[in-house]
Amino acid sequence: MGKPADLIQGTLDLLILKTISAGPVHGWAIAKRIQQMSDEILQVQQGSLYPALHRLEQQGWIESEEKATESGRIAKFYSLTRSGKKQLAVELGQWNRLSNGIGLVLKRV
Amino acid sequence: MLWFTQLSLRLRALFQRQALDGQLNREMEFHLAEQKEEFLGQGMSAAEAEAAARRLFGPVASLREQCRDERRTRWLEDLLQDAQFAGRSFAKSPGFTMVAVLTLALGMGANTAFLSAAYGILFRPLPFPQPERLIDLDDGIAGVGPVMALRAMARAVDYAGYYPDSELNVQLGGESSKITATPVTANLLRVLQVFPARGRWFTKSEENLGRHRYAVLSDRSWRNRFRADPAVLGRTVSLNEEPYEIVGIMPAGFAFPSSNTELWIPIHADARNLGYMWGDADLWPIGRLRQGMTLAGAQAELRPVIDRIRPMFPWRMPDAWGSGAAAVPHSKQLVKDVQPKLFALTIASLLLLLIACGNVANLLLARAIRREREFAMREALGAHWSRLIRQLLTENLVLVLFGGAAGLAAAAAILKALPFLLPRDTPRLAEIAADTTLVLAALGSMLITVILFSVAPMILLLRQRESVAGRAVTSSKRTSRMSLALIGLELALATTLLIGAGLMGRTLWQLASVDAGVHATNLVTARVWAGPSRCGTAEHCWATLQEIDRTLLAETAVRRVNWADAAPLDQSLAAVAVDIEDHPKPPGAPAYVLWRTLATPGYFPTLGIRLRAGRLFTDADRRGTAPVIIISQATARRFWPNESAIGKHIRTLSELQWRTVVGVVADVAQYSLAGFPSWVDGVEYCSLAQGMPIDAGNIELTLFAESPQARVTWPVLLRQRFPDIAVTRIKSLGAIRTESVSDRRSTAWLLGLFAVLGLLLGVAGVYGVISHRAQQRTREMGIRLALGASAQQVVGMVLQESLLVSTLGAASGVVAAFGLSRFLSSLLFGVTAHDAITLTFCPLALLMAALLAAALPAQRAARTDPALTLREE
Repeated sequence: MGKPADLIQGTLDLLILKTISAGPVHGWAIAKRIQQMSDEILQVQQGSLYPALHRLEQQGWIESEEKATESGRIAKFYSLTRSGKKQLAVELGQWNRLSNGIGLVLKRV
Repeated sequence: MLWFTQLSLRLRALFQRQALDGQLNREMEFHLAEQKEEFLGQGMSAAEAEAAARRLFGPVASLREQCRDERRTRWLEDLLQDAQFAGRSFAKSPGFTMVAVLTLALGMGANTAFLSAAYGILFRPLPFPQPERLIDLDDGIAGVGPVMALRAMARAVDYAGYYPDSELNVQLGGESSKITATPVTANLLRVLQVFPARGRWFTKSEENLGRHRYAVLSDRSWRNRFRADPAVLGRTVSLNEEPYEIVGIMPAGFAFPSSNTELWIPIHADARNLGYMWGDADLWPIGRLRQGMTLAGAQAELRPVIDRIRPMFPWRMPDAWGSGAAAVPHSKQLVKDVQPKLFALTIASLLLLLIACGNVANLLLARAIRREREFAMREALGAHWSRLIRQLLTENLVLVLFGGAAGLAAAAAILKALPFLLPRDTPRLAEIAADTTLVLAALGSMLITVILFSVAPMILLLRQRESVAGRAVTSSKRTSRMSLALIGLELALATTLLIGAGLMGRTLWQLASVDAGVHATNLVTARVWAGPSRCGTAEHCWATLQEIDRTLLAETAVRRVNWADAAPLDQSLAAVAVDIEDHPKPPGAPAYVLWRTLATPGYFPTLGIRLRAGRLFTDADRRGTAPVIIISQATARRFWPNESAIGKHIRTLSELQWRTVVGVVADVAQYSLAGFPSWVDGVEYCSLAQGMPIDAGNIELTLFAESPQARVTWPVLLRQRFPDIAVTRIKSLGAIRTESVSDRRSTAWLLGLFAVLGLLLGVAGVYGVISHRAQQRTREMGIRLALGASAQQVVGMVLQESLLVSTLGAASGVVAAFGLSRFLSSLLFGVTAHDAITLTFCPLALLMAALLAAALPAQRAARTDPALTLREE
């Protein structure tokens, strides 16, 4: 299992924000979704998701609500706030510039 | 709005910690349960699924901590924890806590109260728009005519005139009473930029009207005298028996010239009257800089304007008149006289606070020594030193908060009492109140305090880190030295306070021993006012006085009744410019100024003023007979040193007639015990019957009634018999004398109080530290005694230390007093700021007190039983 530190700090935030933007989801679903979407390449230590979630919540970018899931268990569902949506756009932009830049460099070398 | 969301999240983190923690646990358990279910679905056993889920999740406990840290409230939680801990440990030593909190409350209470009083009186902006543009004339010109001329001529400043201290008689409900009413010029409100809350102010055309005039009420007087009746506008009140129509009411809080002012009326002065230029010298100017003008501009135009006013007098004024006039900000001029006193008191309260801090620092130091092992242990267990310092600071903060709260209560009480402690004529006294300034001052002094007494224990803690943890011996020696330094400092401050109080005490003593020249007992004075119905003419007025005399002599125990225009020392100004025979003035030189008292013949014997030459007034010196004058001995000596003054002549500048000197009497301190203002050249007395000071049918005189009875009942009878006459300010001569030094007396008492408190705190500090040290040296003393040292030698050893510390402290206190006593110099009388007696005796008194405080522990040390001590360890 890969170490969570392999994920650049900011990248984890971006992945979480992007995952949550689809609609209210709980922590476990976020972990699953990130794993599935990345075709199991990005292996996150599941627990390390939570400090990140709490940090994003304290920054006011996401908010949470405790609700029952389909299976009847109580889970904490996260959704984006308005400033969270803005933050996602900002971070997406930054990521695109970074990856384009790196791509260009790699192509020319 | 993001900050709001964040703030509410932090608050939630603080106050709903348990709910949040529960949520966090549920969230993680849910995750584990879902994962476990997934693994179960893949065919794992329950135990395997559980373990795999936990492995995939990571360390639950540490992740939970990480989540909590994300709330960013840990520092606050630590702080609260430290505070709780501090509270518990203070509760465990109630004695220490009580002493520390009370000491702090004392120091901070006094300091806070005086800081906010000084701010309120000296620095708080005046309650007028753009108060910095209000101008006064220092050493300037006054009087109706000159101020009106100034108003007409000045271009840079809009000048108005007002009477700073004027009383009128108001007839309400059939009885006469006094009311503080201020005649002002119509443009006063334009200058002050304040407008009536109801009704209107007067116009310029309403100045100098005939009998029907207008008045504007203060808010307070409207509420108190007219029960806030809005229909009062248009009503007529009788002031000095003349009708005035109430046309306006000023807003609450408008207090000009003082908070006692109940009523404003337009000035009434007749420009055709000879007295117009000279009379009513009490009309003062106040101005506002016009648009775009500066103080320098106001100053620049002053001299040319005054040069043009000088020749407007019936007799040209000397060039010296008004030549020193300076335009100064009104806010500065207003408090010019109280400033040194308030500075002195505020500095004294600061010294007291420092002494209190020194004591508490010593208490904390002793506590820190007892806790040395606790701190060493905690550091050994891995606590970072910054965390320990934080705890120390938090504990001190808690102590200061308690002390500060108690101090704030004390300060509020002191502020309430301050208007009674300070003399009544202190400007802006009514504005002092417990308000935000007070709280700010309290916070400021709390901050100073916590920093001051945290320093010593902190140094101790840091030094301790350098030494091997847990070894208490070396650092306790160091602490002791720190304690000694602290009490040295306290004693120095206490010495400074003592010297300040000593100088003021000497001043009071010197004032008390001044011979005022008046020797009378059983003499009671009252101010008596009579209006036009009784004083229409001089004859009528004289008859009224005689009627009062007869009534008092016939129906009360009063044995002698006399009249004068003022009582000695009652702080009224009564100077006239005169021509003096044999002393012609060169043109341009200032006129001679004599202090004038108008009196009835019996005035001199009643007040015990001795005749030195010639004769006193008689009943024959009345209206229509040759005008006579009596002068004081000093005046006679000054103007006619080598010949008799009897038969010489003196003339008031505004009069044509010369008066003949018929008598010379002993000197009397008519103005103040400290003497006359420097511009007064002498003292003259005129016969009251020859010059009744009637002003538009009004007269106000001082009545001197001598009766053998201690109880004064005659004013009641007087009011019953003459309801249209006002009788006020009933005082004995002694009370007048006491009041005349109330300014210095209040300063002396307050400084004395500070000094006593400072001395007590300092002495308590000496006692605490010396006995602590003696206790630490018990074993050493035991050995010394066992080896043959005498009890005296042991006492000497203990005393030696405190003697050294207090000598050094007292010496530095004297040096500090040298620097600080200049704040007092304007209040001193008969002593200099560097008075040798005070500078010797105050430090000596302090030394004695400190040695006495050290003597007790020294005695105890000498009584140590060597056998017992040696066996103990």
